[in-house]
Amino acid sequence: MPPEIDYEECTGCGACRDVCAEDVFFGTTGDAGADKPVVTYPEACYHCYLCVQACPVRAVSVRTPLQMHVPYK
Amino acid sequence: MKSKVVETDLLCVGGGIAGLMAAIRARDLGITAVIAEKGATLYSGSGRLGNDHFWCYIPEAHGGDLDAFIKECMLTQLGPMTSSLGRTVVRTWLERSYEIVKLWDVWGIEMKHDGKWECSGHSFPGRMMTHLKYKGYNQKPVLTGEAQKRGTTIMDRVMVFELLGNADGVTGALAIDTRDDTFIEFRAKSVLLGTGNLGRIYPGITPALLGNGTRPFTMTGDGRAMAYRVGAELLNMEMLSRHAGVKNFARSGQGTWAGVCRDPEGRAIGKYVSKPDIRYGDIVIEVDKQIFERYRQAGRGPVYMDCRGISADDLVYMIHGLENEGNVGLLAHLKEESIDLTKNTVEFMTYELRCQGRLQMNEKAETGLPGLYVAGDEVAASISGAAVFGWIAAESAAQYIKKASISATQQQKIEEKKEFVKELQTRTQGPDWRDANLALQQTMSDYAGLIRSEAMLTAGLNHLRRLKEKAQRTIRAKNRWELTRCLEVLNLYGLGELVFLAALERKESRGLHNRSDYPYTDPLLNDKLLSVKQVEGKPAVEWRNTPA
Repeated sequence: MPPEIDYEECTGCGACRDVCAEDVFFGTTGDAGADKPVVTYPEACYHCYLCVQACPVRAVSVRTPLQMHVPYK
Repeated sequence: MKSKVVETDLLCVGGGIAGLMAAIRARDLGITAVIAEKGATLYSGSGRLGNDHFWCYIPEAHGGDLDAFIKECMLTQLGPMTSSLGRTVVRTWLERSYEIVKLWDVWGIEMKHDGKWECSGHSFPGRMMTHLKYKGYNQKPVLTGEAQKRGTTIMDRVMVFELLGNADGVTGALAIDTRDDTFIEFRAKSVLLGTGNLGRIYPGITPALLGNGTRPFTMTGDGRAMAYRVGAELLNMEMLSRHAGVKNFARSGQGTWAGVCRDPEGRAIGKYVSKPDIRYGDIVIEVDKQIFERYRQAGRGPVYMDCRGISADDLVYMIHGLENEGNVGLLAHLKEESIDLTKNTVEFMTYELRCQGRLQMNEKAETGLPGLYVAGDEVAASISGAAVFGWIAAESAAQYIKKASISATQQQKIEEKKEFVKELQTRTQGPDWRDANLALQQTMSDYAGLIRSEAMLTAGLNHLRRLKEKAQRTIRAKNRWELTRCLEVLNLYGLGELVFLAALERKESRGLHNRSDYPYTDPLLNDKLLSVKQVEGKPAVEWRNTPA
């Protein structure tokens, strides 16, 4: 479920948590780089990509759920 | 739980476009302003990701005849959206819109294209252009900056869930911090409600993903619910609307797509355009947002948005518009799946049911309750409406507070609410917000959905009232995030009940309100609005004339 965090890259700066209006990373302190964010409430994600854009080390990605895949021809 | 008291002249509930504009104007007029925002003003609200069309009247671009301009606009989606507001409100909105456009441009939101006012989209080919095309991607950061510059207190991650006051006037509000264990009492001489749209009351297009709605997840009609509880009037709660756009990925932006809507055989479903045109898009979507659903039901679908044949420059223009409108996530998905809009056509659909019910508002952004103002999607879904009436609301509030004072606090109510909030977090058994929210959506859809009747509405209302009582008594929150959701869901239950009551009273079929027992439109109700208001603790439903 979106978003997804690459913990190898994540520095725990909390930028993703700060920009999320829905607070899907709830419960993460994001202080002093010590605490890495957790995607606590993915179902609230609005797929706005602000967290992807906010991450200084490109550790956050958003996976579009299969339910939201756009049919095309 | 920690407690805190905050005093202000104007409390803006919601830090969207309306709340920010009200706070900016309030500070310019020399009164204090506090914004309480559930998310963060930089990134929240329906205008959070930007926008690319602004409804405004620019005499030098639209000609000197405002009435002719309004007449043209009423043929578009603005007609059904604004007709119940009355002519005075619409005229005021447009008369003040140019002033706002110029201010935004000065503040750093690019309202011009290559140094000129450029109008496109949401218009019929060959006729007057109704919307200014702008680059609104930075509108929230710019407005937040302007509010901060003027000394507005911005309180992010704060959910206001109850108003203080009564029919004689609003005196403040109660709120929770959505992250920390803090309860906040606002003592305010005036309050602006700008909490946005009413979503999450009907099932979304992907029901398991509650966040996939045409408006963000946290827009749950809190302003309407709170205002009703202190005696404000809600209008047309039974009426429904549906938006349309790309299938499965619910998003606004339909007017930014430049292609042609075609059936599986490649025939255009509308008569307005035959090839991609960035100036107009295919306005058939706006003329009839149900068209995709009807094609599907009739076995004539699916309908596709066909941008093939678009020039390279026009494609850049369209993508740029979609980015400014906040469709970054959708565009990323298309790219990831290698969906190329110059080669592929994407399916469109009619989105979920939405409740059109709104707060009563006049041209001064007054609600009818002294000291309580309203703007933005609480009234009509529009960035420009939010901006203009947020601005006007602060002007009205600045006048009002000259004679208002901080009233004695309603201590008993405050203690009761504090206890209730505490209790939600201490319950160890019971449904969570999600269960309660989905049960409400299911009930709304099954009994007050697209087909309605007295028997179904009565049965649904009884069931909803049982669920509501049980939710109130047993819903539980594991933490502050869930507490926020619980308070939203309880607001939604209150509003759901009003939808049923109003739908029972509207004994006719009109728009998407289809009564199988009254399958005709009653012309005697053409200029009427259905009002619901709390009188002596009970909902009173009454017909009103549409204002002049």
